[in-house]
Amino acid sequence: MFNGKAVILVVEDSALIRMSAVDLVLSAGYEALEARDADEAIRILEARADIDLVFTDVQMSGTIDGIKLAHYIRDRWPPVKLIVASGQAIIEDSTLPTGSRFFAKPYEDHAIADAIARMLSSP
Amino acid sequence: MSNAPIVHFEAASTLAVVVSSNEPLLFLSRDQKVIAASTSFCRTFEIDPATIPDRTLASLGNGEWAMPKLASLLQATASGSARIEAYEIDLQRPNRKTRQLIVNAQILDDGDTARIRLLLAITDVTDARAEAKLKDDLIREKAILMQEVQHRVANSLQITASVLMQSARQIQSEEARGHLHNAHHRVMSIAAVQRQLSMSSAGNVELHTYFTQLCESLGASMIADDDRLSISVNVDDSVVEADVSVSLGLIVTELVINALKHAFPGQQIGTIVIDYCSTGSDWTLSVADDGIGIPTGSLAPKSGLGTGIVEALARNLESEIQVSDANPGTAVIIRYRGNARRQT
Repeated sequence: MFNGKAVILVVEDSALIRMSAVDLVLSAGYEALEARDADEAIRILEARADIDLVFTDVQMSGTIDGIKLAHYIRDRWPPVKLIVASGQAIIEDSTLPTGSRFFAKPYEDHAIADAIARMLSSP
Repeated sequence: MSNAPIVHFEAASTLAVVVSSNEPLLFLSRDQKVIAASTSFCRTFEIDPATIPDRTLASLGNGEWAMPKLASLLQATASGSARIEAYEIDLQRPNRKTRQLIVNAQILDDGDTARIRLLLAITDVTDARAEAKLKDDLIREKAILMQEVQHRVANSLQITASVLMQSARQIQSEEARGHLHNAHHRVMSIAAVQRQLSMSSAGNVELHTYFTQLCESLGASMIADDDRLSISVNVDDSVVEADVSVSLGLIVTELVINALKHAFPGQQIGTIVIDYCSTGSDWTLSVADDGIGIPTGSLAPKSGLGTGIVEALARNLESEIQVSDANPGTAVIIRYRGNARRQT
């Protein structure tokens, strides 16, 4: 977040949900990147050093799911903030990296926007 | 049949009891010769009763009972140093599937301590085990399927909700945006039931938790200033079927949206109270606000889609709607009287 807009990577395998999530991020005033699975997300994270937050789904095709992706990101890019959403209503907080936020699907757009704003404003 | 005397004669009654045992049973001498075998043993393990006399356990059938482990356990039992209790062994026979057996052995206690004889009871648990495993597998499969279905439902609701919100963000007309937001609230109201259901096993919904969640979500998306407007939920510990909860939730959603939109124009401070209580099969739901009240001259507010939804759902629940002046504000009360209905 050096020059203006924070960069948010949306990871979601459903095209429509991804499209709307990207729109949500853009209309909240951030720059949005998108990936359809964890593998693509990791490639993008490797290619760009300016991603501030990853907003990921859990159940996705590809080699790892969103929870494993969250842990991988926390391990490899510790400063990146994490928001996880899943159709599974209850995911134990302990299965997610500390400091990440979980939302059950369907999530409220404003709740995601609030969480993004709050996480980006904290150190 | 197999009462082959070795040195001593066994009591006829003992032999009769062994032979007629419902559970496969062998009566053995100390050196593991078969004194008698139950008919059930011969039938279960396909051994011709005529071949039994004078055989040792190890030479029964085609020698499949010659299991060193079993022999040593029986020896230990005979010497009193161990007891075989629910010991599991596998019976292997050529061209037959392995059978899982549970064996119990003990010294026959007939007062004759000079002559040790053993009772060996054998239960074939192969089928019972397979059945139990099948049942476990089915239960596990059902749980996985349920999870899959819930996941799909949540994702479908997410697609619907996301697309509605995206349309609302892009649309220019304030009125059309309002309609899209309302549609979004209805979807989220149903989603909240779905979430409750996925956490309950019996398909029942706890109204207190559900309404609280619903109103939190409505408030979070519709109330810009928490100090000005608030929603409070006052619900007893009623639990209702999923279908009923969907209807009640949609009614609450419509009435709360309506109150937030019309009851508090300008900067007025206000509260919306949702009340639900039940006695037996009777229940009363009320949504009351302390706003400006019903505008005079129009007892029934302009019927929009929201009013239509409330009326249709209330009718479906066989309940009556009463709109009254709460002074200040408006109270909408929906009542179900099961007993009164039957009397009319």
